[in-house]
Amino acid sequence: MVKKQVRRRKRRKSKQALIGYLFLSPVFLFYSIFLVFPIGFSLYLSFHRWNMLTPPLKARYMGMKHFTYLLIQDETFLIVLKNTLFYALGTVFIGMILALIVALAFSRTKYSSIWRFVYFAPVVTPPVAIGMIWGYLYRPTDGLINTVLRWFYLPGQQWLSSPAQALPSIMITGMWAGVGFTMLIFIAGLKGIPEMYYDAARIDGANFWQAFWHITLPLLKPTILFVLVTGMIGAWQVFDLVFMMSSGGIDTGVVPFESVGVVALHMYQTAFRYMRMGRASAMAFILFLVVLAFTLIELRVLRRGGVESY
Amino acid sequence: MKQKEIVKMIIKYGIFIAGGICMFFPFLWLILASLQSEREIMLRPMVFIPEVFQWQNYVVLFKKYPLDKYYFNSFLVNSSITGVVLLTSSLAGYSLGKLSFPGRELIFKGILATMMFPVFLFLIPVYYLLKRVPFVGGNDIWGLGGVGFLHSYPALILPFIVNAWGIFLMRQFIIGIPNELLDAARIDGCSEFRIYANIILPLTKPALATLGIFIFIQQWNSFLWPLIITTSAPKIMTLPVGLQLLRVAFASARNQHYFLAGLVVGIVPMVILFLVLQRHYIKGIVMTGLKG
Repeated sequence: MVKKQVRRRKRRKSKQALIGYLFLSPVFLFYSIFLVFPIGFSLYLSFHRWNMLTPPLKARYMGMKHFTYLLIQDETFLIVLKNTLFYALGTVFIGMILALIVALAFSRTKYSSIWRFVYFAPVVTPPVAIGMIWGYLYRPTDGLINTVLRWFYLPGQQWLSSPAQALPSIMITGMWAGVGFTMLIFIAGLKGIPEMYYDAARIDGANFWQAFWHITLPLLKPTILFVLVTGMIGAWQVFDLVFMMSSGGIDTGVVPFESVGVVALHMYQTAFRYMRMGRASAMAFILFLVVLAFTLIELRVLRRGGVESY
Repeated sequence: MKQKEIVKMIIKYGIFIAGGICMFFPFLWLILASLQSEREIMLRPMVFIPEVFQWQNYVVLFKKYPLDKYYFNSFLVNSSITGVVLLTSSLAGYSLGKLSFPGRELIFKGILATMMFPVFLFLIPVYYLLKRVPFVGGNDIWGLGGVGFLHSYPALILPFIVNAWGIFLMRQFIIGIPNELLDAARIDGCSEFRIYANIILPLTKPALATLGIFIFIQQWNSFLWPLIITTSAPKIMTLPVGLQLLRVAFASARNQHYFLAGLVVGIVPMVILFLVLQRHYIKGIVMTGLKG
């Protein structure tokens, strides 16, 4: 009797496993076609010279040449790597601080849905359109930004037309576009901090800053970690904005590629303009390793501070 | 004490108003400028509010530029992706959340880890793969001779029909459904598929709504892949790629007002959709942040 029950339960369990795999099968199929195969193929390509036209298996073997070329000889690649690092660190950290300030101001405010909408409109706007709008705003002679600066008797800037200012200008736009998203995640994180901690702090006579440093910030650590990790992964891959703003919105003037180029743009051109699939794949792998290293460092540093939940 | 409160209020609303102006002024300027006449837009110093609102800018824009076609393509592609993502995510979410089988946790972690791969690892291989699909786009059995899927909608849809974040979201939601409910159905002889269709799906409607809106907006803005695919296939060009070409189409300074009107047309419908569905979309973002 008991045996029969056990057997039945076992059978049900194995049937459940079968159905479990069955329900996952579209995902397995998808990942084998669009994830496992591409990664393997990319890895293969990064050691070969290939232009997409000849059969890939007949591509010439290059060994580590793409990697050594990119990391030692190719000055452009090192420059775009540096630019991307600058972009990622700048937009993520400054953007995070701005978003946190706004989120703190927002908590416990009336009409917050109107404000939220104002901050949020850029998040649902295609980055392509954002790039073009800001290309217009940044125009040195008659752009809106310089016009406003002149109202306050401030000197107009060259913005996208100056090699030194072009990348920071794009970063400002990037932060403008992303602040609403980050703000919302912070608002959610702030809501998760129990009110009683602040009440207790107030009773003990803590001021705003003390409460912020000793309650808000430590308890917000998982949220900060999340924003940092996902923000960095996204920022390292920035493409749309730079693509739209580097060759100039309309007549914003053109700056040399070296001053604004990012890895994604360089890779896009290498692959789909110059048809150097092998070298582009090697770039993608280097980018992957960089992103991986950054993610691990971020996790390491912030986890040491007691974030166990990620 | 009173004075301190006032200072606090000033700081708070100062942040709001300064931030709000920075955030919204570009949009306001864009909409106003798109309604100016060719002469007004060239005036220096700048004019903000047009003397007469030139609504015909939009009429001319649609006559000169096929934005409606790009809209149609974007809508078709994005709704297909959203529909299939909802299906694959909820199936996988149910499996990972409620069915027990060996390797479940490992599979789940693996799916989450896929979010870390940069998209650039996939561009070239997937492009090549789509080109080599046999029997379509003039290809023979070996996938040679034609363009495969490259010039048709599947090229824009297939690479996005499974979404790791979607699976994560659905799993988190489904795990909260009481097991008793499912066990009761099982005892009554319900098959797992019927449990999925008749219990899980109706109960996860809010999560599905959130996921659907989130994916739709995300895809609506996507640019790099459509750029690669549709540069050589204008028939299936989506809105962001089409918008990008506005600057070529209306490159001369005399056409600026059409260019700006095109940008408004590219932005406003999505913003309105967002306004209507705000709650669901924001829930999606908040749930993103609550991971782990």
